[in-house]
Amino acid sequence: MAPQDGLSASPTRAGILPGPTPPLLRVDGLSVSYGPHEVVTDVGFELRRGESLALIGESGSGKSTIARSVLRLLPHGGRATGRVEFNGQDVLGLSERRFRPLRGRAIGFVPQDPGNALNPVRTIGAQAEEAAALLDQPDTALRKRLILETFAQVGLDTPQRVYDAYPYQLSGGMLQRVLIGLAILPRPALLVADEPTSALDVTIQKRILDLLSQLRRDLDISLLLITHDLAIAAERADSLVVLKDGVVQETGSTALVFSAPASAYARKLHADVPALNPDRYADLRGTGFRRLQAGLRETPKIAVTAVTKTFTVDGKALTAVDGVTFTVPAGTTRALVGESGSGKTTTVRLLLGIEQPDSGDIRIAGEPITGRSHASLRAVRRHLQLVYQNPFTSLDPTWKVESLVREPLDRFGIGTRRERAERVRVALADVGLGEHLLARRPDALSGGQRQRVAIARSLILKPDVIVLDEPTSALDVSVQADIVEVLLALQAKLGLTYLFVSHDLALVRQLAHAVSIMHRGRIVEQGAVSDIFDNPQHAYTAALLAAVPSGLARPAPQSRSWPALNAARTA
Amino acid sequence: MRQRYLTYAAKRLAQAVIVILLTYVFTFVVISILPGDPITNVLRDPQNGFTEDQIKAIVAAQGLDQPIPVQLWTSLSHFLAGDLGLSMRSTRPVTTLIAEVLPSTLVLASSGLAVALLLAAVIAYGTQFLSKRFGQGLLRAFPSLFLSVPNFVIGLVLIHTFGFQLGLFRVIEPESAWATFFAAIALGIPISAQIAEVLIANLDTESRQEYAAVARSRGLGQARLFAKHLLKPSSLPVVTVIALTIGELLGGSLITETVFGRMGIGSLVQRSAAAQDLPVLQAVVSLAAVVFVLVNLIADLVYPLLDPRLRLVGDAKQQPNTADESSAPTLQAVTG
Repeated sequence: MAPQDGLSASPTRAGILPGPTPPLLRVDGLSVSYGPHEVVTDVGFELRRGESLALIGESGSGKSTIARSVLRLLPHGGRATGRVEFNGQDVLGLSERRFRPLRGRAIGFVPQDPGNALNPVRTIGAQAEEAAALLDQPDTALRKRLILETFAQVGLDTPQRVYDAYPYQLSGGMLQRVLIGLAILPRPALLVADEPTSALDVTIQKRILDLLSQLRRDLDISLLLITHDLAIAAERADSLVVLKDGVVQETGSTALVFSAPASAYARKLHADVPALNPDRYADLRGTGFRRLQAGLRETPKIAVTAVTKTFTVDGKALTAVDGVTFTVPAGTTRALVGESGSGKTTTVRLLLGIEQPDSGDIRIAGEPITGRSHASLRAVRRHLQLVYQNPFTSLDPTWKVESLVREPLDRFGIGTRRERAERVRVALADVGLGEHLLARRPDALSGGQRQRVAIARSLILKPDVIVLDEPTSALDVSVQADIVEVLLALQAKLGLTYLFVSHDLALVRQLAHAVSIMHRGRIVEQGAVSDIFDNPQHAYTAALLAAVPSGLARPAPQSRSWPALNAARTA
Repeated sequence: MRQRYLTYAAKRLAQAVIVILLTYVFTFVVISILPGDPITNVLRDPQNGFTEDQIKAIVAAQGLDQPIPVQLWTSLSHFLAGDLGLSMRSTRPVTTLIAEVLPSTLVLASSGLAVALLLAAVIAYGTQFLSKRFGQGLLRAFPSLFLSVPNFVIGLVLIHTFGFQLGLFRVIEPESAWATFFAAIALGIPISAQIAEVLIANLDTESRQEYAAVARSRGLGQARLFAKHLLKPSSLPVVTVIALTIGELLGGSLITETVFGRMGIGSLVQRSAAAQDLPVLQAVVSLAAVVFVLVNLIADLVYPLLDPRLRLVGDAKQQPNTADESSAPTLQAVTG
């Protein structure tokens, strides 16, 4: 028996209706509010069987709220009005008892953050059994085979080990595969994927998205994809719904919305995607390129020579950084590109003097970092600042903006009180923040504002060198564009030298002058941005480049066979 | 993994021994520097009618003429050998005195804990099955109600209602089954409030977790969500809470025993404190410390076995999958 056949809302029954097939999912006049706050206003769209639709917008645009309304999983206090029709049936009006059979069986859900989406104290297998139970398959052994087959299908190479593992034992990419597997296991007609790749590296992102495309075609599943990245949406969806502040800005087929956006907001989203606009900041970057050509003979601001660092994990030696060499001339940006585990974080820690290298030499403006006392390192650090990855965790929530930005001056005892206050104001103005924010605490700031505060804090000591550790990876695409602009404007104005750590090649192409590609502790390729991007020599670089979402529709990869499932269906 | 756990266990055991020794020394010093001299207060009390020679003999036998550090050393070395000395009041071994009353207290404390756990479970897990509109709010009010009523009041109400009015037990037979049952309820109610509050807070936190929403997206109803997903993670911290309430259980026993007129450690402490019988006080305080430390030690040792996340303690992540992904967790563990 096919899994959905026993359901009143089964898509196969819908075929009995006269006329053209109704859409699988029809949302009409949907509004969602939390108390007096309306977060989604009068949203409507249709999704046909086997097709895919992307909801696009920044955080706060209401896209996740819409996804959760479809699943009726709004957090406590959320209230949805309007119509959400699944196979012609309004699901908002159903009682919980009548709606529950649709969850999992007819509508599957892939959540955003794989790290929190599985029960930490239960094995993956125990949780997979819950999804398998929806198949109405009484044979335990066959159920388990189905689970293992699905795990293999979503690209988990050792299904049995995954089955026995606890969530903490798997990486984010693997957990996301598990979650996709659990969602598709009961063969839903609709899959709701809420930013399924935003926590992952680019190459894993591409594999997960490929997997979703392939499953969609093989299993005839409709996909409701929620994303903030227009390039991903354009690549993977048949039609797009652009949202801002809970209101639909534009809707239509992907080809139309993507190539000829009608609304101002869709045009802005398009302009903010780095992959689509590699030369957006050409003017701001020009100064750096000229310095690069002119200043090759002066001492580079950062010089890393043959640096190696080995850690011992469980008695095994692990070379995190292996013979890494690069230089960054004054006033230019070098990007250090690599995925999780490539050694880029360790390289940064070595550069900041937090770790000591086993061998090799690191110099900042000609001054060696290695083998120095704590006190003399402090002097070097004044000229070397770091901007952290996540502005939501890197700022003390109990401090006001003014104290956060002023703290480095206090630590180094620079200037009188008035001079410090003046420098705080200048630094905030440099990053484009108004003085009215001085008394705010981080909680009352947006993500972009927080990262600007973090940048202002790193500028306050007037450093020459700033290490930017994935400064935009926790932010939306449009906020990222603002931050990049601030950084480049500061570099052009103050002649700053940046080491930009990232896994996002499209972003690197927009803002860096030179690139080093790291893979398993080694630099596999480095050179000028144009050389690396136009003519990659190393296979890994090419793979990274191919994984960047370009916005061009991609054909779904080769389909696979499903022996156990077919057996279950015919049984 | 196994090796790591054994190292952890050995470390915790060593810490426990140190805590017990320090408690003994601390208690000894505090008792010694307290105003009031046992010789004057007890031995020279005309009511006791000791002669000067008898007093001298007792002082010599107890070593009370020695300097404090020497007394401490003697007492501590005897304590380690299991010898708790002689009671100053009755001149019987302290071990015997404690052994006489300990079983009664153990029965009361353990049945009090059982009552507390049962009540807490009913209250906290019950909230999961009552609708927000009806009943749940009432259930959630119980812990604060329980906490705000002192347990001697609860004891007196129980004695009055079930002893005098309903005649379920005879108040002059405090060791009878019914009397013990109501004493356990009086003791357990305030402790159940603490456990229930922790359980309810944990259940609220866990049900707001993303994994709970995702589990519901797999079609789980409230009952299965609770039984399969929320029960274990929300109940695990109770192991620690129980260990921490042991102190209260012992202190509560003292009050409950007095209220119900039971024999037990409580009545022993009361009599010894009134008579300044230092060896008994020292022994009971040390015993309480040993129990408290032991229970917490057990909680610490059991917890990692129950919660798989804690098996991570310094453990690098497994690397079961494809090459590029498997390199990630190990390095994160190192650099993160």
